[in-house]
Amino acid sequence: MDQVFGVEVHDEDGLLRVAVRGEVDMATAPQLRESLYDAVDRSAGPVIVDLLAVTFIDSTALGVLIGALERSKARDAELRVVLNEARLVKIFEITGLTELFPLFPSIAEAVAR
Amino acid sequence: MNEAVELIIPVQSDLVVLARLTAATVASRAGFDVEEVEDLRLAVDELCVSVVNGSGSGRLNLTFHSAEGSVEVICVLDGPFTSPDQAENGYGERDLSVRILDALVDEHGEEMGDSRRRVWLRKRSLRHQGS
Repeated sequence: MDQVFGVEVHDEDGLLRVAVRGEVDMATAPQLRESLYDAVDRSAGPVIVDLLAVTFIDSTALGVLIGALERSKARDAELRVVLNEARLVKIFEITGLTELFPLFPSIAEAVAR
Repeated sequence: MNEAVELIIPVQSDLVVLARLTAATVASRAGFDVEEVEDLRLAVDELCVSVVNGSGSGRLNLTFHSAEGSVEVICVLDGPFTSPDQAENGYGERDLSVRILDALVDEHGEEMGDSRRRVWLRKRSLRHQGS
């Protein structure tokens, strides 16, 4: 899988999906923060954070997601994280973040909720 | 086998990837399985994050000591350091970093000096436990 970081925001029938790929670390997290916060600020509904193509995350990346979650809560909105790589799910589990974030194994399930 | 690898990099967030790459190679040579290699890669990243976050300049000296089934990594920051603020909700990046290290390695620690900050970790492969 590609390790080069990238982030794109897709507007799918009014639902914003932030698609992230590659490694999210302290070098790339600021780009994720900018795109994610912007999506949260302009979304009228839930924001889907698509991490299906992400190959690495660290505490810096998790910090960005927590910041976006707090920002979306302040707007009475929702952040839905899509993730199915066992290795990445493990990082959410060991940090206790599965209690904060609803994790979905596919985009379809995140959209359908 | 007993090996030591040294890596010296400027304090730059985009160079921490070199520490991760080195960690993966050293862990693999020490006989770690795929999951343990990934664990060490993330743990070394967190070690670097903990010092790079509080500093704007200087250099990171990383030393990887490995033997069959075990790796010790020492990361020394030569340069100014200030402790980043802690988040009040218990989910600050520093707190997350400690949780990750607690879960992924056998031991880790840090020592602060006037002009040096030293963080370290040790990890043994489960396959080699008790041997």
